[in-house]
Amino acid sequence: MRRPALAAAVALLLAVALALAGPACAPSPRRAEKAAPRPAGPHVVTPASVEEVLAVVCQPGARAVVLNVWGTWCGPCREEFPDLVKLRRDYERRGLRLVLLSVDFDSEVPAVNRFLAEQGVDFETYLRAGGDDDKFINTLSPLWSGALPATFIYDGAGTLRDFWEGKASYAQMERRLLKVMEGKNEPDSTEVSS
Amino acid sequence: MKTRHLLLLALLVAPLAAGAPPAAAAEPAAAPAPVALALGAALPMGDVKMMGVDGREITLAGAAGPKGTLVVFSCNHCPWAKAWEERLVAIGNTWPKQGVGVVVVNSNDPKAYPEDGLDGMKARAKQRKMAFPYVVDATSDVARAFGAAKTPEAFLFDKDGKLVYHGAIDDNAKEPKQVKERYLQAALEALAGGRAIATPQTKALGCSIKYRTKAAS
Repeated sequence: MRRPALAAAVALLLAVALALAGPACAPSPRRAEKAAPRPAGPHVVTPASVEEVLAVVCQPGARAVVLNVWGTWCGPCREEFPDLVKLRRDYERRGLRLVLLSVDFDSEVPAVNRFLAEQGVDFETYLRAGGDDDKFINTLSPLWSGALPATFIYDGAGTLRDFWEGKASYAQMERRLLKVMEGKNEPDSTEVSS
Repeated sequence: MKTRHLLLLALLVAPLAAGAPPAAAAEPAAAPAPVALALGAALPMGDVKMMGVDGREITLAGAAGPKGTLVVFSCNHCPWAKAWEERLVAIGNTWPKQGVGVVVVNSNDPKAYPEDGLDGMKARAKQRKMAFPYVVDATSDVARAFGAAKTPEAFLFDKDGKLVYHGAIDDNAKEPKQVKERYLQAALEALAGGRAIATPQTKALGCSIKYRTKAAS
């Protein structure tokens, strides 16, 4: 009798602790892997909920994760896109994981895939699948207005360390990435504008 | 046995409760969005003249209705603004008759988006049969004063010019038939009916407003 009671208590406490830990990162890599969406293949966006995207962010093995939310119709998004791809090329070996999340409408998926191919993207990227905008935005950051592009930098533990709205230059992205990688991320809102 | 179980339990839970990374949303952002007006804030830039698609200049103060004023930052080029446009026009053409003045403001720099120039706005207003002022924020200073970051973004003020609603038109840009929450319509109805607005702040995705560069002083 004691063992089932203890098992139930353990399960309850684990559930409470998981709820307290919040939606960003699961405590176990196994859970994060399970929650990640199945990739659709290179140059083809994979539909993913915000929870699934965060599961990708939280997968272990990165020193820093840059999550960029973009759309093909968004001029500043398109303008900064090559720099994001270059950033990945330059820093992947040093532990950067770049997660690209398109918020294009479903009808624009062919244009998204074309754009990704033009940009030489040969890694998995994601298309926001369904859900309420308000929840989507606030899950990523309550400080995000919903304007695009939006870029979030997480540390290797999946904790959000930097965020900005609007287009950034390569130098700005690189500097802010390095601050997170080095554990020195001073807030700086003056250099990026849309 | 019992002690060993409790120890195991503590080992399992402690890292989750204490050391687990907090939710991304709980962390402070480094570069927040333009700071939008807070609920209760007064309508800013009420006396700034803005050119409308009908060739007349208006001010926000002049467009105020006896029950309130709705200011929506929108534009021509943005797919989100386009997706909501029909619903926005329906609101804009309806509520002035019910005592709420409506102004739609385009603050985008047409150098970045030529579609957002006055000629494009005139064509869109005609096409959509807009019966309310669709005006040019020629310096983007009105958007700056509101802290408006994107299009479309709605700000509803009461009869005293205090902000009572800020945010989205509804909860589904893509699929009008699947809208569950008509946030702005509900806010307008509550305002007109003298009731508290149930959801005074909402968010939606949208296109960043491309502010005009400020002239050197």
